[in-house]
Amino acid sequence: MEAWLFVSPSAIGFLIFFLGPLCAVVYFSMTEWNLLTQQAAFVGLANFKNALLENPDFWHVVRNSVIFALGLVPLNMALALTLALALSRPFFGVVFFRTVFFAPVVTSAIAWAIVWKFLLQGEGGFINQMLAIVGISGPNWLREPNWAMAAVIVTRVIKMVGLNMILYIAALQAIPRDYEAAARLEGASRWQIFRMIIWPLLAPTTLIIMVITTIGSFKVFDHIYQMTGGGPENGTLVLAFYIYQQGFKFFNIGYASALAMIMFVIVMMLTIVQVMLRRKGAE
Amino acid sequence: MTNVFLKGIEKRFGSVEVIRGVDLQIDDGEFVVFVGPSGCGKSTLLRLISGLEHISAGDIYIGDRLVNEVQPAQRGVAMVFQSYALYPHLTVRDNMGFGLKVRKVPPAERQRRIGEAAATLKLDALLDRYPRELSGGQRQRVAIGRAIVGHPDVFLFDEPLSNLDAELRVHMRSEIAALHKRLATTMIYVTHDQIEAMTLADKIVVLRDGRVEQVGSPRTLYENPANIFVAQFIGSPKMNVLPADAAPLLAALPATPPSAESVGVRPEHLTVVSPGEGVLRGEVTLCEYTGAVTLLHVALDGGHDCLVIYDEREMPGVGSVIGLRAEGQNLHFFNQHGQAILASAHST
Repeated sequence: MEAWLFVSPSAIGFLIFFLGPLCAVVYFSMTEWNLLTQQAAFVGLANFKNALLENPDFWHVVRNSVIFALGLVPLNMALALTLALALSRPFFGVVFFRTVFFAPVVTSAIAWAIVWKFLLQGEGGFINQMLAIVGISGPNWLREPNWAMAAVIVTRVIKMVGLNMILYIAALQAIPRDYEAAARLEGASRWQIFRMIIWPLLAPTTLIIMVITTIGSFKVFDHIYQMTGGGPENGTLVLAFYIYQQGFKFFNIGYASALAMIMFVIVMMLTIVQVMLRRKGAE
Repeated sequence: MTNVFLKGIEKRFGSVEVIRGVDLQIDDGEFVVFVGPSGCGKSTLLRLISGLEHISAGDIYIGDRLVNEVQPAQRGVAMVFQSYALYPHLTVRDNMGFGLKVRKVPPAERQRRIGEAAATLKLDALLDRYPRELSGGQRQRVAIGRAIVGHPDVFLFDEPLSNLDAELRVHMRSEIAALHKRLATTMIYVTHDQIEAMTLADKIVVLRDGRVEQVGSPRTLYENPANIFVAQFIGSPKMNVLPADAAPLLAALPATPPSAESVGVRPEHLTVVSPGEGVLRGEVTLCEYTGAVTLLHVALDGGHDCLVIYDEREMPGVGSVIGLRAEGQNLHFFNQHGQAILASAHST
């Protein structure tokens, strides 16, 4: 009894704020419930059927989400690792640089998106003005479908790369310096030391980073909401934003819940596949 | 010929001077041990020889070749680290073959050399295991094996036994000694354990605060320490150092050297006698029975403390007053600077 009392604050919170909503989403996903009319009718798997087989928007949105993830994850990880390699060893000013690259992570996502929206404006935008100085006529970044996706990916990477950089720095600092010293004595070049010693030892961290960045990329909302609103021509309409649109703009709670369940399954499957691939690689 | 010659070696980390002018000649095939307390610079000196650290001043010659600007891998040295530094994601075979692989030694030759080293160190059955699957002693042998396969001119050992338990340490010590005998390669070994130094070394280099205090064979250092630091560092338990006026009470001497400020006598050279007139007297404060001998802690009349190794069956009780004597030849005199006064000087 005492034990139950001790865990009850946490258990009650878990039930109310985690398990309860989760069950509610599962239930809602099988209903046709309109928030405005407060009418709910059980429809079984109709919402799933609608999303997967009937509504062409869904696959367009999934395609956008996949493009977003494929653009963001490798770029984020490569940049994070490069920064971590440069900033993992002590030198004068290293803390300043780490802070500079980490600061966007703790900056408000909306504020960040607003600033970039201004910087990426068509003719009057700062980026295009800079490009004009060197004779390049920049596109209207957030108004052209292909450039808009690239712009939100890059600005999102710049915002979030600091977190992965810190994780990589921690992992690099945990690798004993003797490994590098031993490899140097044996004649390994810097590239060989990285490729044959450092990179394999970073594998667990790389897996974690890959999983959380992939999940994060599928859940991106605030950035899209502020910078493009899913446009132009639905070119940046990704899954989380689509769920928001369906749920809170069109008030199709049942359909939105079904989409959320599908997103959950997609992310879970991606995570399982990544973990399995890494395990196979380790063997 | 792979001798090692250090000339005026200095090393500074920022404003901190770690090595302060070390001159040292290490002969071909010699087993040299750097010994000293923590922070004396012995590991730094080893890393300077390996090339893992750059010297601030001086010259390093390996096999008559000036190597100041030579990369670590080109110096012909191999190092065994205190942590072993075995790559955890590679098998024993791959760990041992890593250096050969990056040097592009053909696979067949690589396997031959790994097999050879594995046979020497009895690692044949462990070649496909990962470091995490090995005991401490086995990891130690793999680390040595990795050093052997490269056929280096000089082996460097950085406190390789300090992570092992006491029993294994004794065993590995004898294995390293046997290895040196078999390979007859120059070996430089760093330790803070003076027993390791005494048992392994052809030549011991005692370091303190980045300076060489004395170089010599274990016997030389034990019998003729150059100063109080070496006298107390070499030998276990450490040498007793007493005021020079205690010397006539310890032994019948023609005369105490006039410049002598203190006299040293090792615990094993003291004999317990009855506390009569004309002997050094003291009260036993503690008896530590170790089996073979008993270590007596004695508070001397003059206020100094003294250790005595006592090997008789009947030991004096705590609180009893005893007399102490020693042979004159076992007394070591030191001047006011702590430097030894040579035997010839105090016999005249």
